[in-house]
Amino acid sequence: MKKILAADNLCYSINETKLFQGLSFDLFEGKAIHVLGGNGSGKTSLLKIISGLSKPTRGSITKSNKKNVCFVGHKNALKQYLTVEDNLSLLEVDKHNDINAFLKKLELSKLLDVMVASLSYGQQKKLALLRLFLNDSDLLVLDEPCVGLDRKSQDILCSFLREQKEEKKALIFSSHISLDVDSEYINLDKAIS
Amino acid sequence: MKLINFEFLKLRKKSRGWLGPILVFILIMTAFPLTVEILNKNLEQAFFSILWIATLLVMMLATEDIFLEDYNDGSLEQMAIKYDSLSGLVATKIFVYWVLIGIPISLIGALYGFGITRSSESALQILPILLITTYIFLNVFSFGNALSLTKGSILGTLITMPLVLPLLVVLGKVVIAINLGISFLGFLFLLLGILSIIILILPMIISFVIKAHLE
Repeated sequence: MKKILAADNLCYSINETKLFQGLSFDLFEGKAIHVLGGNGSGKTSLLKIISGLSKPTRGSITKSNKKNVCFVGHKNALKQYLTVEDNLSLLEVDKHNDINAFLKKLELSKLLDVMVASLSYGQQKKLALLRLFLNDSDLLVLDEPCVGLDRKSQDILCSFLREQKEEKKALIFSSHISLDVDSEYINLDKAIS
Repeated sequence: MKLINFEFLKLRKKSRGWLGPILVFILIMTAFPLTVEILNKNLEQAFFSILWIATLLVMMLATEDIFLEDYNDGSLEQMAIKYDSLSGLVATKIFVYWVLIGIPISLIGALYGFGITRSSESALQILPILLITTYIFLNVFSFGNALSLTKGSILGTLITMPLVLPLLVVLGKVVIAINLGISFLGFLFLLLGILSIIILILPMIISFVIKAHLE
Protein backbone atom coordinates (compact mmCIF):
# COMPACT_ATOMS: atom_id res chain seq x y z
CA MET A 1 0.00 0.00 0.00
CA LYS A 2 1.43 3.38 -1.02
CA LYS A 3 2.10 5.93 1.70
CA ILE A 4 0.60 9.28 0.69
CA LEU A 5 1.49 11.26 3.79
CA ALA A 6 3.81 10.86 6.78
CA ALA A 7 3.68 13.22 9.76
CA ASP A 8 6.59 13.01 12.15
CA ASN A 9 6.55 14.49 15.65
CA LEU A 10 4.43 17.51 14.66
CA CYS A 11 4.18 20.38 17.09
CA TYR A 12 2.26 23.61 16.56
CA SER A 13 2.09 26.64 18.81
CA ILE A 14 0.43 30.02 18.53
CA ASN A 15 1.83 32.77 20.78
CA GLU A 16 3.52 30.32 23.16
CA THR A 17 0.31 28.26 23.44
CA LYS A 18 0.90 24.70 22.32
CA LEU A 19 -2.04 23.41 20.27
CA PHE A 20 -0.59 19.94 19.75
CA GLN A 21 2.77 18.26 20.07
CA GLY A 22 4.44 14.94 19.34
CA LEU A 23 1.86 14.11 16.68
CA SER A 24 2.99 11.34 14.33
CA PHE A 25 0.87 9.40 11.87
CA ASP A 26 0.91 7.91 8.37
CA LEU A 27 -1.84 8.10 5.78
CA PHE A 28 -1.99 5.42 3.09
CA GLU A 29 -3.88 5.34 -0.20
CA GLY A 30 -7.51 4.27 0.18
CA LYS A 31 -7.53 5.25 3.87
CA ALA A 32 -9.21 8.05 5.78
CA ILE A 33 -8.39 9.91 8.99
CA HIS A 34 -11.02 11.82 10.97
CA VAL A 35 -9.44 14.60 13.05
CA LEU A 36 -11.32 15.20 16.29
CA GLY A 37 -10.97 17.87 18.93
CA GLY A 38 -12.72 20.74 20.63
CA ASN A 39 -12.80 24.33 19.41
CA GLY A 40 -9.30 25.78 19.24
CA SER A 41 -7.63 22.38 19.55
CA GLY A 42 -5.73 22.93 16.28
CA LYS A 43 -7.78 20.92 13.74
CA THR A 44 -7.70 23.66 11.08
CA SER A 45 -4.02 24.36 11.79
CA LEU A 46 -3.17 20.67 11.33
CA LEU A 47 -5.11 20.49 8.04
CA LYS A 48 -3.41 23.68 6.82
CA ILE A 49 -0.01 22.19 7.67
CA ILE A 50 -0.90 19.06 5.69
CA SER A 51 -2.06 21.19 2.73
CA GLY A 52 1.23 23.10 2.76
CA LEU A 53 -0.33 26.42 3.75
CA SER A 54 1.36 26.56 7.16
CA LYS A 55 4.55 25.20 8.63
CA PRO A 56 4.66 23.24 11.90
CA THR A 57 6.58 24.78 14.79
CA ARG A 58 8.50 21.51 14.99
CA GLY A 59 8.43 18.20 13.17
CA SER A 60 7.93 17.43 9.49
CA ILE A 61 5.39 16.38 6.89
CA THR A 62 6.37 14.21 3.95
CA LYS A 63 3.99 13.87 1.01
CA SER A 64 4.30 11.50 -1.93
CA ASN A 65 3.16 14.26 -4.31
CA LYS A 66 3.68 17.70 -2.86
CA LYS A 67 1.33 19.64 -5.14
CA ASN A 68 -1.41 17.08 -5.68
CA VAL A 69 -3.60 18.14 -2.76
CA CYS A 70 -7.26 19.17 -2.81
CA PHE A 71 -8.05 21.41 0.16
CA VAL A 72 -11.57 22.48 1.08
CA GLY A 73 -11.48 24.87 4.01
CA HIS A 74 -13.83 27.25 5.78
CA LYS A 75 -13.51 29.79 2.97
CA ASN A 76 -15.36 28.91 -0.23
CA ALA A 77 -13.07 30.72 -2.73
CA LEU A 78 -16.15 31.96 -4.60
CA LYS A 79 -16.61 35.39 -6.15
CA GLN A 80 -19.87 36.87 -4.89
CA TYR A 81 -20.26 39.30 -7.83
CA LEU A 82 -19.94 36.57 -10.48
CA THR A 83 -22.55 34.06 -11.65
CA VAL A 84 -22.39 30.37 -10.77
CA GLU A 85 -21.21 29.67 -14.33
CA ASP A 86 -18.36 32.21 -14.09
CA ASN A 87 -17.33 30.75 -10.74
CA LEU A 88 -17.24 27.25 -12.23
CA SER A 89 -14.88 28.60 -14.84
CA LEU A 90 -12.68 30.17 -12.11
CA LEU A 91 -12.68 26.86 -10.21
CA GLU A 92 -11.53 25.27 -13.50
CA VAL A 93 -14.23 22.61 -13.39
CA ASP A 94 -16.55 23.95 -16.12
CA LYS A 95 -15.08 21.68 -18.81
CA HIS A 96 -15.10 18.51 -16.67
CA ASN A 97 -17.03 15.53 -18.09
CA ASP A 98 -18.98 14.97 -14.87
CA ILE A 99 -19.89 18.61 -14.22
CA ASN A 100 -23.50 18.36 -15.37
CA ALA A 101 -24.13 15.19 -13.38
CA PHE A 102 -22.86 16.82 -10.18
CA LEU A 103 -24.72 20.08 -10.83
CA LYS A 104 -27.94 18.07 -11.19
CA LYS A 105 -27.23 15.94 -8.15
CA LEU A 106 -26.55 19.05 -6.02
CA GLU A 107 -29.58 20.89 -7.49
CA LEU A 108 -27.41 23.67 -8.91
CA SER A 109 -28.04 23.14 -12.61
CA LYS A 110 -30.87 25.70 -12.78
CA LEU A 111 -28.81 28.33 -10.99
CA LEU A 112 -26.02 28.77 -13.55
CA ASP A 113 -27.01 32.36 -14.40
CA VAL A 114 -27.58 33.38 -10.79
CA MET A 115 -25.12 35.61 -8.91
CA VAL A 116 -23.36 33.72 -6.12
CA ALA A 117 -24.30 36.52 -3.70
CA SER A 118 -27.97 35.54 -4.21
CA LEU A 119 -27.39 31.91 -3.23
CA SER A 120 -27.94 30.60 0.29
CA TYR A 121 -24.91 29.62 2.39
CA GLY A 122 -25.66 25.93 1.81
CA GLN A 123 -25.87 26.39 -1.97
CA GLN A 124 -22.57 28.28 -1.94
CA LYS A 125 -20.99 25.47 0.07
CA LYS A 126 -22.25 22.92 -2.47
CA LEU A 127 -20.80 25.01 -5.28
CA ALA A 128 -17.45 25.17 -3.48
CA LEU A 129 -17.54 21.40 -2.97
CA LEU A 130 -17.56 20.92 -6.76
CA ARG A 131 -13.82 21.57 -6.59
CA LEU A 132 -13.63 18.47 -4.41
CA PHE A 133 -16.07 16.39 -6.44
CA LEU A 134 -14.26 17.06 -9.72
CA ASN A 135 -10.71 16.87 -8.41
CA ASP A 136 -7.93 14.58 -9.57
CA SER A 137 -5.78 14.77 -6.44
CA ASP A 138 -4.32 11.88 -4.44
CA LEU A 139 -4.88 13.57 -1.11
CA LEU A 140 -8.17 15.21 -0.07
CA VAL A 141 -8.04 17.54 2.93
CA LEU A 142 -11.42 18.70 4.21
CA ASP A 143 -12.02 21.12 7.05
CA GLU A 144 -15.58 20.80 8.36
CA PRO A 145 -17.01 19.93 4.93
CA CYS A 146 -20.58 19.40 6.24
CA VAL A 147 -21.11 22.88 7.69
CA GLY A 148 -24.18 24.43 6.03
CA LEU A 149 -25.12 21.31 4.07
CA ASP A 150 -28.59 19.74 4.23
CA ARG A 151 -29.01 16.01 4.97
CA LYS A 152 -29.25 15.06 1.29
CA SER A 153 -26.04 16.90 0.39
CA GLN A 154 -24.24 15.38 3.39
CA ASP A 155 -25.22 11.92 2.09
CA ILE A 156 -23.94 12.81 -1.40
CA LEU A 157 -20.67 13.99 0.17
CA CYS A 158 -20.26 10.82 2.28
CA SER A 159 -21.06 8.58 -0.67
CA PHE A 160 -18.50 10.51 -2.76
CA LEU A 161 -15.84 10.16 -0.05
CA ARG A 162 -16.46 6.40 0.14
CA GLU A 163 -16.04 6.19 -3.67
CA GLN A 164 -12.80 8.16 -3.44
CA LYS A 165 -11.46 5.71 -0.86
CA GLU A 166 -12.27 2.84 -3.21
CA GLU A 167 -10.37 4.72 -5.93
CA LYS A 168 -7.28 4.57 -3.67
CA LYS A 169 -7.32 8.23 -2.67
CA ALA A 170 -6.33 9.31 0.82
CA LEU A 171 -8.64 11.47 2.93
CA ILE A 172 -8.12 13.51 6.04
CA PHE A 173 -10.97 15.58 7.42
CA SER A 174 -12.24 17.32 10.50
CA SER A 175 -15.92 17.27 11.34
CA HIS A 176 -17.96 17.85 14.47
CA ILE A 177 -20.66 15.54 13.14
CA SER A 178 -20.08 11.89 12.45
CA LEU A 179 -19.55 11.09 8.75
CA ASP A 180 -20.52 7.72 7.34
CA VAL A 181 -16.98 7.04 6.09
CA ASP A 182 -14.82 4.26 7.51
CA SER A 183 -11.85 6.04 9.06
CA GLU A 184 -9.16 6.10 11.72
CA TYR A 185 -9.22 8.84 14.35
CA ILE A 186 -6.79 11.44 15.65
CA ASN A 187 -7.96 13.24 18.77
CA LEU A 188 -6.11 16.53 19.16
CA ASP A 189 -7.44 17.02 22.69
CA LYS A 190 -5.13 14.15 23.64
CA ALA A 191 -2.19 15.46 21.58
CA ILE A 192 -1.04 17.88 24.28
CA SER A 193 1.13 16.71 27.09
CA MET B 1 -2.74 32.83 -20.23
CA LYS B 2 -5.45 31.17 -18.15
CA LEU B 3 -4.47 33.33 -15.18
CA ILE B 4 -4.71 36.50 -17.27
CA ASN B 5 -8.19 35.51 -18.51
CA PHE B 6 -9.38 34.80 -14.96
CA GLU B 7 -8.05 38.08 -13.62
CA PHE B 8 -9.60 39.99 -16.55
CA LEU B 9 -12.94 38.29 -15.92
CA LYS B 10 -12.83 39.16 -12.21
CA LEU B 11 -11.84 42.80 -12.60
CA ARG B 12 -14.08 43.40 -15.64
CA LYS B 13 -17.16 42.14 -13.80
CA LYS B 14 -16.29 44.16 -10.69
CA SER B 15 -16.93 47.52 -12.34
CA ARG B 16 -16.34 49.59 -9.20
CA GLY B 17 -12.80 48.13 -9.12
CA TRP B 18 -11.73 49.71 -12.42
CA LEU B 19 -14.38 52.32 -13.23
CA GLY B 20 -14.19 53.97 -9.79
CA PRO B 21 -10.51 55.02 -10.04
CA ILE B 22 -10.97 56.22 -13.63
CA LEU B 23 -13.97 58.38 -12.65
CA VAL B 24 -12.08 59.80 -9.65
CA PHE B 25 -9.20 60.69 -11.98
CA ILE B 26 -11.57 62.44 -14.41
CA LEU B 27 -13.20 64.26 -11.50
CA ILE B 28 -9.87 65.56 -10.17
CA MET B 29 -8.64 66.62 -13.59
CA THR B 30 -11.94 68.36 -14.39
CA ALA B 31 -12.38 69.99 -11.00
CA PHE B 32 -8.85 71.39 -10.82
CA PRO B 33 -9.24 74.11 -13.53
CA LEU B 34 -12.66 75.02 -12.10
CA THR B 35 -11.34 75.66 -8.61
CA VAL B 36 -8.46 78.00 -9.45
CA GLU B 37 -8.81 81.55 -10.61
CA ILE B 38 -5.57 81.93 -12.51
CA LEU B 39 -4.48 82.84 -15.99
CA ASN B 40 -4.41 80.13 -18.61
CA LYS B 41 -0.60 80.20 -18.67
CA ASN B 42 -0.33 79.53 -14.94
CA LEU B 43 -2.87 76.75 -15.36
CA GLU B 44 -0.53 75.09 -17.83
CA GLN B 45 2.36 75.24 -15.36
CA ALA B 46 0.34 73.71 -12.53
CA PHE B 47 -1.29 71.10 -14.77
CA PHE B 48 1.54 68.58 -14.74
CA SER B 49 1.88 68.67 -10.94
CA ILE B 50 -1.84 68.01 -10.59
CA LEU B 51 -1.59 65.24 -13.19
CA TRP B 52 1.18 63.37 -11.32
CA ILE B 53 -0.49 63.75 -7.93
CA ALA B 54 -3.87 62.66 -9.34
CA THR B 55 -2.23 59.63 -10.95
CA LEU B 56 -0.49 58.77 -7.68
CA LEU B 57 -3.68 59.01 -5.61
CA VAL B 58 -5.81 57.13 -8.13
CA MET B 59 -3.31 54.28 -8.39
CA MET B 60 -3.30 54.11 -4.60
CA LEU B 61 -7.09 53.90 -4.67
CA ALA B 62 -7.08 51.31 -7.48
CA THR B 63 -4.91 48.85 -5.57
CA GLU B 64 -6.98 49.12 -2.39
CA ASP B 65 -8.34 45.57 -2.59
CA ILE B 66 -6.03 44.02 -5.15
CA PHE B 67 -5.29 41.07 -2.82
CA LEU B 68 -7.78 41.60 -0.01
CA GLU B 69 -10.78 40.08 -1.76
CA ASP B 70 -8.88 36.93 -2.78
CA TYR B 71 -7.47 36.69 0.74
CA ASN B 72 -10.87 37.00 2.39
CA ASP B 73 -12.71 34.53 0.16
CA GLY B 74 -9.95 31.88 0.28
CA SER B 75 -8.84 32.11 -3.38
CA LEU B 76 -5.28 32.97 -2.33
CA GLU B 77 -5.18 29.83 -0.13
CA GLN B 78 -6.14 27.71 -3.13
CA MET B 79 -3.53 29.39 -5.34
CA ALA B 80 -0.83 28.94 -2.69
CA ILE B 81 -1.61 25.21 -2.53
CA LYS B 82 -1.60 24.90 -6.30
CA TYR B 83 1.58 26.84 -7.08
CA ASP B 84 5.00 26.90 -5.39
CA SER B 85 5.27 30.63 -5.92
CA LEU B 86 2.53 33.24 -6.11
CA SER B 87 4.73 35.71 -8.01
CA GLY B 88 3.15 34.75 -11.37
CA LEU B 89 -0.30 35.47 -9.97
CA VAL B 90 0.88 38.76 -8.44
CA ALA B 91 2.52 39.90 -11.70
CA THR B 92 -0.61 38.92 -13.65
CA LYS B 93 -2.91 40.80 -11.29
CA ILE B 94 -0.80 43.97 -11.53
CA PHE B 95 -0.65 43.67 -15.33
CA VAL B 96 -4.45 43.30 -15.59
CA TYR B 97 -4.95 46.32 -13.29
CA TRP B 98 -2.57 48.28 -15.50
CA VAL B 99 -4.44 47.31 -18.67
CA LEU B 100 -7.88 48.12 -17.26
CA ILE B 101 -6.96 51.14 -15.13
CA GLY B 102 -3.40 52.31 -15.88
CA ILE B 103 -3.73 52.52 -19.67
CA PRO B 104 -7.12 54.34 -19.69
CA ILE B 105 -5.81 56.82 -17.10
CA SER B 106 -2.67 57.42 -19.15
CA LEU B 107 -4.77 58.06 -22.28
CA ILE B 108 -7.18 60.35 -20.43
CA GLY B 109 -4.23 62.16 -18.81
CA ALA B 110 -2.65 62.74 -22.23
CA LEU B 111 -6.00 63.98 -23.53
CA TYR B 112 -6.28 66.47 -20.66
CA GLY B 113 -2.69 67.45 -21.41
CA PHE B 114 -3.68 68.28 -24.96
CA GLY B 115 -6.78 70.16 -23.76
CA ILE B 116 -4.90 72.33 -21.31
CA THR B 117 -1.52 72.88 -22.99
CA ARG B 118 -3.08 72.88 -26.49
CA SER B 119 0.05 71.14 -27.69
CA SER B 120 -0.24 67.71 -29.25
CA GLU B 121 3.53 67.34 -28.85
CA SER B 122 3.33 67.71 -25.05
CA ALA B 123 0.41 65.30 -24.92
CA LEU B 124 2.34 62.69 -26.90
CA GLN B 125 5.40 63.22 -24.72
CA ILE B 126 3.58 62.64 -21.45
CA LEU B 127 1.74 59.52 -22.69
CA PRO B 128 4.72 57.10 -22.44
CA ILE B 129 5.73 58.70 -19.14
CA LEU B 130 2.23 58.12 -17.78
CA LEU B 131 2.13 54.53 -19.05
CA ILE B 132 5.38 53.69 -17.27
CA THR B 133 4.55 55.66 -14.13
CA THR B 134 1.16 54.02 -13.63
CA TYR B 135 2.78 50.58 -13.87
CA ILE B 136 5.42 51.55 -11.31
CA PHE B 137 2.82 53.02 -8.94
CA LEU B 138 0.64 49.89 -9.23
CA ASN B 139 3.59 47.66 -8.33
CA VAL B 140 4.69 49.75 -5.36
CA PHE B 141 1.19 50.21 -3.92
CA SER B 142 0.42 46.51 -4.41
CA PHE B 143 3.44 45.83 -2.24
CA GLY B 144 2.01 48.19 0.38
CA ASN B 145 -1.34 46.42 0.23
CA ALA B 146 0.29 43.03 0.60
CA LEU B 147 2.19 44.27 3.68
CA SER B 148 -1.00 45.29 5.46
CA LEU B 149 -3.29 42.59 4.05
CA THR B 150 -4.83 41.79 7.41
CA LYS B 151 -4.62 45.28 8.92
CA GLY B 152 -6.35 47.56 6.41
CA SER B 153 -4.84 48.43 3.08
CA ILE B 154 -4.36 52.17 3.51
CA LEU B 155 -1.73 51.69 6.25
CA GLY B 156 0.56 49.64 4.01
CA THR B 157 0.10 52.02 1.11
CA LEU B 158 1.15 54.92 3.31
CA ILE B 159 4.24 52.98 4.41
CA THR B 160 5.27 52.53 0.77
CA MET B 161 4.60 56.20 -0.08
CA PRO B 162 8.25 57.25 0.58
CA LEU B 163 9.31 54.75 -2.12
CA VAL B 164 7.50 56.75 -4.80
CA LEU B 165 8.69 60.19 -3.67
CA PRO B 166 11.97 59.98 -5.68
CA LEU B 167 9.82 59.09 -8.67
CA LEU B 168 7.83 62.30 -8.21
CA VAL B 169 11.13 64.24 -8.27
CA VAL B 170 12.01 62.57 -11.60
CA LEU B 171 8.53 63.39 -12.95
CA GLY B 172 9.07 67.02 -11.95
CA LYS B 173 12.30 67.06 -13.98
CA VAL B 174 10.45 65.55 -16.94
CA VAL B 175 8.00 68.46 -16.85
CA ILE B 176 10.88 70.95 -16.80
CA ALA B 177 12.43 69.16 -19.81
CA ILE B 178 9.12 69.21 -21.72
CA ASN B 179 8.50 72.90 -20.89
CA LEU B 180 12.03 73.88 -21.97
CA GLY B 181 11.67 71.84 -25.12
CA ILE B 182 14.77 69.76 -24.41
CA SER B 183 14.99 65.99 -24.82
CA PHE B 184 13.35 64.00 -22.05
CA LEU B 185 14.45 60.62 -23.43
CA GLY B 186 17.03 60.24 -20.65
CA PHE B 187 14.27 60.43 -18.05
CA LEU B 188 12.14 58.03 -20.09
CA PHE B 189 14.95 55.45 -20.07
CA LEU B 190 15.52 56.06 -16.36
CA LEU B 191 11.83 55.33 -15.69
CA LEU B 192 12.01 52.24 -17.92
CA GLY B 193 15.03 51.04 -15.96
CA ILE B 194 13.19 51.54 -12.64
CA LEU B 195 10.18 49.70 -14.05
CA SER B 196 12.30 46.76 -15.25
CA ILE B 197 13.86 46.31 -11.81
CA ILE B 198 10.49 46.64 -10.09
CA ILE B 199 8.78 44.14 -12.41
CA LEU B 200 11.52 41.59 -11.70
CA ILE B 201 11.76 42.01 -7.94
CA LEU B 202 8.47 43.24 -6.46
CA PRO B 203 6.11 40.38 -7.52
CA MET B 204 8.52 37.95 -5.85
CA ILE B 205 8.68 39.97 -2.63
CA ILE B 206 4.87 40.46 -2.64
CA SER B 207 4.47 36.70 -3.10
CA PHE B 208 6.60 36.04 0.04
CA VAL B 209 4.63 38.62 2.02
CA ILE B 210 1.28 37.05 1.02
CA LYS B 211 2.53 33.56 1.90
CA ALA B 212 3.55 34.85 5.33
CA HIS B 213 0.00 36.20 5.82
CA LEU B 214 -1.51 32.87 4.83
CA GLU B 215 0.49 30.91 7.44
